[in-house]
Amino acid sequence: MLNYDIVVVGGGGAGMRAALEASQNNDLQVAVISKTFPTRSHTGAAQGGINAALGFRDETDSVEKHFRDTVKGSDFLGDQDAIEFFASNMPECVLELEYFGVPFSRDEKGRIAQRPFGGASSPRTCYSADKTGHVILHTLYEQCLKNGVKFLNEWFLLELVVEDKKLQGLVAMDIRSGEIHPINARAVVIATGGFGRIYWSRTTNAFNMTGDGTAACFEAGIPIKDPEFVQFHPTGLAGTGVLLSEACRGEGGYLINKNGERFMSRYAPEKMELGPRDLVSRAIETEIKEGRGFGQGINAYIHLDLRHLGKKKILQRLPQVRQLAIEFEGVDPIEEPVPIRPSCHYMMGGIHVSDYRTSSTPIEGIHAAGECACVSVHGANRLGGNSLADVILFGKFAGIGARESARDRSFSSGARVQKAAEKWMKHFNTMREKTRGNDVIAIRNKMAETMWNNVGIFRTESEMAEALDTINQLLEDYKDCYIGVSDKKYNMAFINYVEIGNLLKLAKAVAMGAINRKESRGSHSRADYPKRDDQNFLRHTMITKEEDEYKLDYLPVKITKYQPEERRY
Amino acid sequence: MEKVIYRIKRFDGTKEWYQEYEFPYEKGKTILWGLIKIKEEIDPSLCFTSACRSAICGSCGVRVNGNAVLACKTSLDKMLETYKTNKLILEPLNNFKVIRDLVVDWEQKFERMKEVKPWLIPSKNSDKTKGFKQSEKQFNMIANPTDCILCGCCISECGQLSINREGFLEPFIFSKSYRFTVESRDEAPGEHLEPALENGLWKCIRCMQCVTKCPKGVRPAEHINGLRKESMKMGHRDNKGARHAYAFHDDIQKTGRLNEMTLPIKTEGLVSTMGRIPFALRLLKKGKIKPFNMPKPVNGIEQVRTIYRLAQNQKEER
Ligand SMILES: Cc1cc2nc3c(=O)[nH]c(=O)nc-3n(C[C@H](O)[C@H](O)[C@H](O)COP(=O)(O)OP(=O)(O)OC[C@H]3O[C@@H](n4cnc5c(N)ncnc54)[C@H](O)[C@@H]3O)c2cc1C
Repeated sequence: MLNYDIVVVGGGGAGMRAALEASQNNDLQVAVISKTFPTRSHTGAAQGGINAALGFRDETDSVEKHFRDTVKGSDFLGDQDAIEFFASNMPECVLELEYFGVPFSRDEKGRIAQRPFGGASSPRTCYSADKTGHVILHTLYEQCLKNGVKFLNEWFLLELVVEDKKLQGLVAMDIRSGEIHPINARAVVIATGGFGRIYWSRTTNAFNMTGDGTAACFEAGIPIKDPEFVQFHPTGLAGTGVLLSEACRGEGGYLINKNGERFMSRYAPEKMELGPRDLVSRAIETEIKEGRGFGQGINAYIHLDLRHLGKKKILQRLPQVRQLAIEFEGVDPIEEPVPIRPSCHYMMGGIHVSDYRTSSTPIEGIHAAGECACVSVHGANRLGGNSLADVILFGKFAGIGARESARDRSFSSGARVQKAAEKWMKHFNTMREKTRGNDVIAIRNKMAETMWNNVGIFRTESEMAEALDTINQLLEDYKDCYIGVSDKKYNMAFINYVEIGNLLKLAKAVAMGAINRKESRGSHSRADYPKRDDQNFLRHTMITKEEDEYKLDYLPVKITKYQPEERRY
Repeated sequence: MEKVIYRIKRFDGTKEWYQEYEFPYEKGKTILWGLIKIKEEIDPSLCFTSACRSAICGSCGVRVNGNAVLACKTSLDKMLETYKTNKLILEPLNNFKVIRDLVVDWEQKFERMKEVKPWLIPSKNSDKTKGFKQSEKQFNMIANPTDCILCGCCISECGQLSINREGFLEPFIFSKSYRFTVESRDEAPGEHLEPALENGLWKCIRCMQCVTKCPKGVRPAEHINGLRKESMKMGHRDNKGARHAYAFHDDIQKTGRLNEMTLPIKTEGLVSTMGRIPFALRLLKKGKIKPFNMPKPVNGIEQVRTIYRLAQNQKEER
């Protein structure tokens, strides 16, 4: 059996930052398992930047301001002790990144450049052109190579093995050989990213953002916190969900429905297309729901028309947007309107982190960081540039926490881990041999459709109840699936099948959290409860899985400094 | 057009074959869209890798009709139009070990990448808590090589690598080496450069495939050039590549043209050149070389020398 002091699951920003920290003294055996090569992780897709109150661009910026902006942005659902810790440590974390070699863009004095971002009272988003996530991801990989971190690439986490609320080890598949391995570990860091793929084609996320680590923690008895908070971006390309930058509205693009109307006049007569993200997203969805969109169902869309800006302005100001539209939607915005639709962008909720200083969870030995985790710093709504920040900072502290766990804990006998691995081997064999059953892809598409239509951008009780019924039915159908591939080696059909199972479990948690939160707060917007209700809902949703039962509970929000007030911009 | 056909090279770990898949044409789609369609609707056993579908993760490099592309950003319409066909041939990237179908093995590439120490060896004039100062100009030196997404398109089409897998580094590795060699925050440029020098720096044949095939506009051939210059500046002049460059430099300065007779001697030394005598005799017989034709200075040699002077007086820009 494989033995590691620390196993980091996930090779994105959070996972590699944790691995770097954990491996720094070369005294512990650290391995990173990742279902893709580390540099293929979705952290690379982040363009805008990473927040830290360095005060280079604006001397009046401060940790305090970053703290306050984040609390306000979270619609007061973020835990203030954690947010203060977060804002205070970010400047140091970004300077560390610089020391690792991240090629940041520079200001005229040669320091790290910073730009303004939504919801921030000072320009504090550090960036590298429009590829900040990419350069951070690659730099962390380089540093891990330097530290001699062991990478098990194209290995897939199947299960976390836990006994009496203590970690025993994990089970993972080496995708290439098809072997299923029991792994003994003293500590584990889960850093598997978000699960925007519950909406399948309607997300800016990569194909593999399926919440496997979140689902494994959920199965292991760790609560999922605040899953109902899902951030949507108004302008995803209709066909693929690829993100079109906010700049296309900023530069004066029109949103047009099937009748040729600039419909924003009904929703934000003054600001029109420049209204805030959530409002614009809701307006687009209303048009589509009321039959004024193009196309049908989950494939419906509206038009983003840039033609009136003229060729010159489009080429000058929006070259990236044009390129994306041409490459990924086959439409040149100089000549034609671009089909767009809001897309799921980020998951605020996730694995419940019970101590932010070590990114630990209620299960001894299991730590979690990055988009898969919920500390909670982002509360009901994440600010741009705060996710990379979260990934880097809590990734680092997860590494520190895992070192402590590894030092304090001993290896298990491995018996349980072995048994769990055998159960998976058997399951894999069964699935390979099966010749009939329900179609996995059809289940996935149905899940996405019901989640999008009923637990999407705006929500009502009856629709969400319908979605929950559908998901429950799909969970039943899933039990008798057919994957269609009998190979042992590189059986991606099996991997995709496991991923879709994970998405279903999480989709159910999202629906359940959303139905029970009878208020509107941050990204969670209910037509039947349009107001924020601090009396009853200034608290975190906590969903726990016991066998097939989902239990709902709540946890108070930590308020240290800023009393809730109305969120106005 | 009603139907599109992908003819895909398949490999199951032991045997190889081509398989054709036919599906209805749709306008405005990508190569990746077709692959996904096949996997979801026709044959779930087809293997390929893809993740971000927005040209940043570097997973989906494949060869289409013999050219490496990123499947996610390559327009299906354009490909069909370029080749005036409804059938495209898809193969795994060249110069890689294939794992399955279109999936290639990166492990060896990353192992080789480590040779150039592709990480910052931080300069002593800062520490973890202070950050560095870097001018915009210094940043611009490293901006292009850091655009690399490790997709492998440059590896697939590299002219030198195709004939010399052992003695030449993958083009993107030269870009990595270059990046850290010219990085103003790095303490030890030589540690990134020397492994490149020892692994074929002067062997690039300048076919420029790495530049034209890069989906992100990275220019490995230029970085190779940059590394050659840096290596000579560091004093690595006593090798074939550098001597060859100097021979060109000196001949042109002297006469304005190349002396093909003395070039091999200057580059390889007298002893190795002797070994080439049979080849030289064959060239002689066909009238390809004229041994006693010592070039005289061309008309306007003074202008050539002025260019040299101007170039030499130009301060090295950094
Ligand atoms: C288009 C886009 C733009 C964005 N722009 C910004 C921005 O400008 N600023 C900002 O702050 N945030 C931005 N975000 C959000 C931010 O990029 C992500 O939230 C963040 O990068 C997540 O990092 P992570 O390390 O948690 O996860 P990821 O980077 O997603 O990494 C997850 C890792 O886990 C591995 N993994 C998953 N499941 C398994 C399994 N079962 N077994 C083994 N390994 C597994 C994956 O292979 C991967 O290596 C953006 C997001 C998107 C989609």
